[in-house]
Amino acid sequence: MAAAINMIIQASHLTKQFKSVRRKEGVLGTLATLFSHDYEFKDAVTDVSFDLEPGELVGYIGPNGAGKSTTIKMLTGILVPTSGHCTVNGIVPWQDRQANGRGIGVVFGQRTQLYWDLPLVESFRLLKAIYGVSQASYDRHLKKFSELLGLDEFMRTPVRQLSLGQRMRGDFAAAMMHEPAVVFLDEPTIGLDVVAKEAIRNFIASVNKERGTTFILTTHDLNDVEKLCARIILIDHGRKLYDGSIDAIKKRYGPNRLLTADFLTDAAGVDIRMPGVAVLERDGQRIRLEFERERVRADELIVALSRQADLKDVTIAEPELETIIRQIYERGLDRSGPAPQ
Amino acid sequence: MADAGARHWSAYREFWRLNFLTLMEYKVNFFIWLAFTIVYHGVALGAIWIMMSRFPSMNGWHWQQVFFLYALYMLGHTLNNTFFFTIGEVPDLVREGRFDRLLVRPLDPLFQVLSQPGQIWPDELVIALIVFILAQGAVHLQWSSSTVVLLVLATLGGAYIDFAIQLIIATLSFWVVRLDALRWVVMSLENDFTRYPLSIYNRAVRIMLAYVFPFAFMNYFPATVLLHKSAEVGYTFNPQLGWLTPVVGAVWFAAAYSFWRLGLNKYQGTGS
Repeated sequence: MAAAINMIIQASHLTKQFKSVRRKEGVLGTLATLFSHDYEFKDAVTDVSFDLEPGELVGYIGPNGAGKSTTIKMLTGILVPTSGHCTVNGIVPWQDRQANGRGIGVVFGQRTQLYWDLPLVESFRLLKAIYGVSQASYDRHLKKFSELLGLDEFMRTPVRQLSLGQRMRGDFAAAMMHEPAVVFLDEPTIGLDVVAKEAIRNFIASVNKERGTTFILTTHDLNDVEKLCARIILIDHGRKLYDGSIDAIKKRYGPNRLLTADFLTDAAGVDIRMPGVAVLERDGQRIRLEFERERVRADELIVALSRQADLKDVTIAEPELETIIRQIYERGLDRSGPAPQ
Repeated sequence: MADAGARHWSAYREFWRLNFLTLMEYKVNFFIWLAFTIVYHGVALGAIWIMMSRFPSMNGWHWQQVFFLYALYMLGHTLNNTFFFTIGEVPDLVREGRFDRLLVRPLDPLFQVLSQPGQIWPDELVIALIVFILAQGAVHLQWSSSTVVLLVLATLGGAYIDFAIQLIIATLSFWVVRLDALRWVVMSLENDFTRYPLSIYNRAVRIMLAYVFPFAFMNYFPATVLLHKSAEVGYTFNPQLGWLTPVVGAVWFAAAYSFWRLGLNKYQGTGS
């Protein structure tokens, strides 16, 4: 069955609705809640479908409460969807949790799976037993992870004494101990400093490249996504907004580039009247422009500028993914950019 | 399947190794707990002694026999505390979202709850054995093969009765997030009502302890068989009920486990 379809994750029309008793205020209200049949329904995820090929590294992004974690919980078998279907490694996760558990790794950035009271290495030994990892594979993985994540220096330190960065590195090694084919990362770099983030990103990229491990990454940090993922899936209010490459979303929803020009003289008199170019700001000898990448060639714009005054320096910047995505959240997909071709 | 069994077994061995290491890590805490456990049971036995010194006998039970009753309860109860104690952590696991982790690992979730490494060690079980050795001497227990069989069945069945009740309470936390109060209420009911012969209580309490929370099967009914007690004043029952402890334990555990499975399916996690 799995041979016919080569997708490692298939999600079709996943929907999760949470049902809870409508709460009332105050002591009497709380008492009334106990006997109430007044339910409220919250649509956490609605009709989300996507497929992942083996070896993909996908950013699953959206604002707080968008339904990211709920989707991950359905894909990992923690939650049963209200409707819809999915398979991971050819298994329906919530129907066969133990079989599913052997093929996936999960890192929750906010919650460690390491055993707090004892040295890091003891957690690894427990995981070795839980997943039935052979001694040879265990030794090999530990050596590899120690190299990539620098675990050696704190392998014998009780987890409670580790810094957040060290603990996260330990958690990554723990999640990979059984060589899962698919790894789910839920906010893996939250609260980490630049050095620790970089170590984690390198680790993910290296495992992805060398072992072909598939990763789904949910994060608020779009730098993680830009550095690691070729593809993103964007959701908001529980619905999928976008699924495609980062390059494509930039081209489609961030059609403008920024140009900053510094002149040797005052820039007040500089005036550019070209279609597709807009002046954003003038500040003494500096001027900032926005131009449409499809309509205006950068070199023509620079030539036009240099005719007006002596240029000292020019920098051109791509739109930031964060800006584009914020615009999509604020204005919706259709009004954020040109219509799809 | 064989593979799953092997993984559960090696994880369980690892769990006990980690328990021991944790104990070594926090030795002082362990000795405080040990001292507390000894004082706790000492106080309970002292209260029984004070009570019994006021009355020569209680419905035909002498103080030695009431002491034996407590010792028998301790066997089942501490066996439960040794192997199933962490069931009480389920409400915390659910509330703090740590239960999610147990669902993404290739082991049975209940097994994982019961093998969460902590400061668990069979020290209380050892104390219970010592108390029992003293108690059986005090009542001049007549040893035979059927005595041994009955004691083993009563201890195992008793532990399962204790565990089944705790499992039901733990399962409720899949619906009601915070329920530690209920756990303590039931535990103190169990502690207080198992200390004296069932026959001294009124009918409602007897029904509750025999059929609703069947703690009477942990010590009272087996004790009546072992001490050759039959019709008590004002209370009649089949004198062979004491042999039913493992059956009651199995039935209650089966019911509790079905309820647990139902709760697992309802599990919604703590939020988005």
